[in-house]
Amino acid sequence: MNARRGGLGAALRRVCQAVFLLVFVLLVLWTRPVPGQAPAGWLSAFFLADPLILLLTWLAAHSVPWAALWALGTVGFTLVLGRVFCGWVCPFGTVHAIAGRALAPRRRKPDPARDHWSPWHRVKYYVLAGLVAMAIFGGHWGTLLDPLVLLYRSTTAALLPAAQWAVEQGSKAVFDADLGAGRFRLHHLTDVPYQFLRDHVFVGPRQAFLGAWLILAVFALLVALNRIRPRFWCRYLCPLGALLGVLAWRPLLRRHTRQEDCNQCGLCGVDCRAGASGAPGQKWHPSECFGCLNCTSACPRGSLGFVWHWPFGPQTPVEPVGVSRRALLAAAAGGVAGLAFLRATPQARGTTFNPLLIRPPGARSELEFLARCTGCGMCIKMCPTGGLQPALFEAGLEGIWTPHLVPRIGYCDHMCNRCGQVCPTQAIEPLSIEEKHARRIGLAAFDTTRCLPYAYGINCIVCEEHCPVPEKAIYTVEVEFKGRDGQTHMVLQPRVDPQKCTGCGVCEHVCPYQDRPGVRVTSANESRHPDNQPIPVFSAEESPYP
Amino acid sequence: MQKQSRREFLVRSAAGVTALGLSPVWTPGAQAGEGPADMTIAKWAGPKPTSAQEIQQAAVKLTEQAIAGLGGLKRFVGQGAVVWVKPNIGWDRTPEQAANTNPDVVATLVRMCFEAGAKRVKVGDHPCDKAPATYKSSGIADAVRALGAEVVMLDPTRFRETRIGGERVKTIPVYPEILECDLLINVPVAKHHVLARATLCMKNYMGVIDKRNTFHQAIAESLVDLTRFLKPRLCVLDAVRILKAHGPKGGRLEDVEMPLAIAAGTDIVALDAWGAEVLGRSPNEIPSVVAGEKAGLGTAKYRSLKLQEAAVS
Repeated sequence: MNARRGGLGAALRRVCQAVFLLVFVLLVLWTRPVPGQAPAGWLSAFFLADPLILLLTWLAAHSVPWAALWALGTVGFTLVLGRVFCGWVCPFGTVHAIAGRALAPRRRKPDPARDHWSPWHRVKYYVLAGLVAMAIFGGHWGTLLDPLVLLYRSTTAALLPAAQWAVEQGSKAVFDADLGAGRFRLHHLTDVPYQFLRDHVFVGPRQAFLGAWLILAVFALLVALNRIRPRFWCRYLCPLGALLGVLAWRPLLRRHTRQEDCNQCGLCGVDCRAGASGAPGQKWHPSECFGCLNCTSACPRGSLGFVWHWPFGPQTPVEPVGVSRRALLAAAAGGVAGLAFLRATPQARGTTFNPLLIRPPGARSELEFLARCTGCGMCIKMCPTGGLQPALFEAGLEGIWTPHLVPRIGYCDHMCNRCGQVCPTQAIEPLSIEEKHARRIGLAAFDTTRCLPYAYGINCIVCEEHCPVPEKAIYTVEVEFKGRDGQTHMVLQPRVDPQKCTGCGVCEHVCPYQDRPGVRVTSANESRHPDNQPIPVFSAEESPYP
Repeated sequence: MQKQSRREFLVRSAAGVTALGLSPVWTPGAQAGEGPADMTIAKWAGPKPTSAQEIQQAAVKLTEQAIAGLGGLKRFVGQGAVVWVKPNIGWDRTPEQAANTNPDVVATLVRMCFEAGAKRVKVGDHPCDKAPATYKSSGIADAVRALGAEVVMLDPTRFRETRIGGERVKTIPVYPEILECDLLINVPVAKHHVLARATLCMKNYMGVIDKRNTFHQAIAESLVDLTRFLKPRLCVLDAVRILKAHGPKGGRLEDVEMPLAIAAGTDIVALDAWGAEVLGRSPNEIPSVVAGEKAGLGTAKYRSLKLQEAAVS
């Protein structure tokens, strides 16, 4: 294989990377509620093709949606081609490739510490071992560190809202400045792209997410690590890369060096972003190689090439993954111990229920939910009101970045069931609208020290007006209120009917209080937890109430 | 504004109606005099429509007749005018659930605006549910877009705090694009409302403003202030379907009735008084009607106006 062909291969790889990154971003942008349309199944394509999500979900929950078996395709081509997913497909890998070039300018001189395999490459296998051991005991924490999940979450919760802020504030500034001549106004021009973005790209006005700073900080840190080593995350940390590395233990496509042509100049290593060789032109680690074809194009003598290696032919020796059994066992023990610490909380033991942890409708009971949720953020991206927010510590450290409803920010739309339809692991079950109406996610309660008719004798009942339950879960009672002057007047006080309240939170959302509403929803009576039912709810037929 | 004698109008509308194969029966109001009426009430007198298509046809005819009784839209829409049609698109509900204005009524008005010479017709509301969903499920966006109207989603950042000089409401964020139009046609649907007793024409103006969640604390006074500021010129009250209970959002078809009637007019209090009666209430029970009349925005005794009633079939 000569240098020219290798150069063509690397160019092809860059095009492939760009296309997959673009597709990934488009899928993020297309994950938005369109009235009258159910979300398409292919929106979660990247997650369904991710074998780490498949493995950990299957281990933790013992069940995966059929569509997740697409990941077996990724397994198949990794067995044949090696870790080309990392080099050619993975959008987070592409982000690192770009960041690596930008943050660590290429120095053409060979540098063994940078260019070659080091024992630190093993770290990711120990990370994977710990996460797999955790998953065997029901902990699904590993998917939080999946690269596709990391990128999706960072884009959805941090990068896009920041871009939206810039667009919205920019267009508002132009509108408010009111520049123009005659009947023409500058905002007539700027409104064209703004309204396109508003109507076809953004989910809703002023969308923003709680704790975006932490999501951004993790993302920025991982990207900044490229300064130390190019593709630091992919080389040393990525659990998906580790899983694919295990699968690429003995791939059919292997790098071959014609030793008679190699003068050990080391240029192949200079261009290797993975550090896949142990020495110039030698000691190739298939489980570290991204198959990026940089080395074949870098070799001035054309002595490097990738050749097919049939299983039953003569064996070309390759370097082993090289992990120590003792360290693997220690890592696995660490994973189990880690899960024990994550679960050693009253909430995880099921003895307390966080009133603020309002899960979306269709969410399974907490441990079942955590055994599936990847924290990818598809549901919060899909939520038309923006009320679904990534948790910080509401669900404990184990449930960080899992979705919960914050009614003050947005309520659960009565006619929407999209969160369950997009969830790639069915941590939120896909429900029909009728099924969804039968699920309770919480219960509203009036704060009679704040609610205007109770506390001040002032009419209000915006909550009752907005209650979406057709028979109204909020009803009113006209009562006499004695004012400061001793005079009495009639006022309508709202009450909650626990038999009808679904906990959607629109009452809390529209309450005139902008700080702490006079009606608040807590997770009480949520359908998913038999132990969190202070008030028995009966179906219409069996209700003992008049 | 085009002047038209009552005789001319009757001849014209009779001719037009005959051409359409309709047969309105006009009943002059108490003070019927020369010139077009102040208020018309078009009621369906034909066989009870059963299919969706028949209801649609009835809604179209009722709208046309209600407007015709006022002397046609040319009376209100100038040549080349920019018109804002303001239906109630408050909720993510279908037309059958009667939580939003009937889309056929809105579409007919849009068509008549263009026929009367309007250059641009904009349709928009400030919904309670999310606008993309309500615009779609109400059926209004699709219906009016097909006729060339601009469907405007109000931008929450573009309301402007406006001095409206009311007694209770001094300033409120109003959507400037609506105020900049030559004509605002108010097209609500008649619905039940626990606090306001009924939501009719005056309450529909709450879709022009933002930060309205304090309005409920003195709903009648606030609506009077807002109505006085907006100076209503034409209101069309849709009672093709009405929501009798669990309003204003509704959702149960059992709460929906079909009076098949539309009233149009220039006196917003009179229309609301009529709407109250359609909902089975006395106008005196509706605080905004009482307050509106007291403030001189109109009369609740709509029969004292130059009123025409048409039986449409």
